[in-house]
Amino acid sequence: MILPPSLLRIRIRNKNTSFSLWLPLFLIWPLVLLAMVILSPLVLICAVLLWPMGLAKPVLLTGPSLFRLFCSIKGLEVSVEKSSERVLISVR
Amino acid sequence: MTENRRQILDMLSEGKISADEAERLLTLLEQPASGGTRGSDTGEGRKSSPKYLRVVVEEDGESGSERVNVRVPMALIRSGVKLAALIPGDATKRMNEKLRENGIDIDMGNLKSEDLEDLVDALADMEVDVQDGKEHVRVFVE
Repeated sequence: MILPPSLLRIRIRNKNTSFSLWLPLFLIWPLVLLAMVILSPLVLICAVLLWPMGLAKPVLLTGPSLFRLFCSIKGLEVSVEKSSERVLISVR
Repeated sequence: MTENRRQILDMLSEGKISADEAERLLTLLEQPASGGTRGSDTGEGRKSSPKYLRVVVEEDGESGSERVNVRVPMALIRSGVKLAALIPGDATKRMNEKLRENGIDIDMGNLKSEDLEDLVDALADMEVDVQDGKEHVRVFVE
């Protein structure tokens, strides 16, 4: 089972300051679920309306694909260092 | 396995390899063990598919060394291609035209997730290593 990312870590370090920020992404999971529940009937109506134009499939699959994309971000890490400065963005 | 692990740690302690390289080698050592369970899903004799695409850029400048380290999950690339497959035909044509205008001759309509699996499997053996003076760029999968 693919789970959405639960934590976003941002770490910034330079000569003067250094801080690490942990953003609890799991707190937005209920909101995402709520948005999905609210939007699903609208998406279904749009799909029915766009059926003659052949756009029903993309409309129906875009939501799940976006969700999969969001889940796949887990593990992404970007780190930039220059001498004593460093920026790290990590999704877990 | 233990001997290989010790060799890697020895090389790290002697400064022959960096901590990142040691981590990568240790990950590679662990792969056959974890790949064994996955092998039953994907077929016998098949390698475990890579999990991350890594891009490492290192530069030793006068103002100090610079280092960019990006780790992109393969799942993100797969999901992106699957999402791109949902783009309507008209939009794909326009994208292709714009890409061609910019010198990139790729047919986005041909990007399919089934083909991507083969491509990702083939990436397991890929390693790009470019060194130009003090700049060093490495692209590999792990």
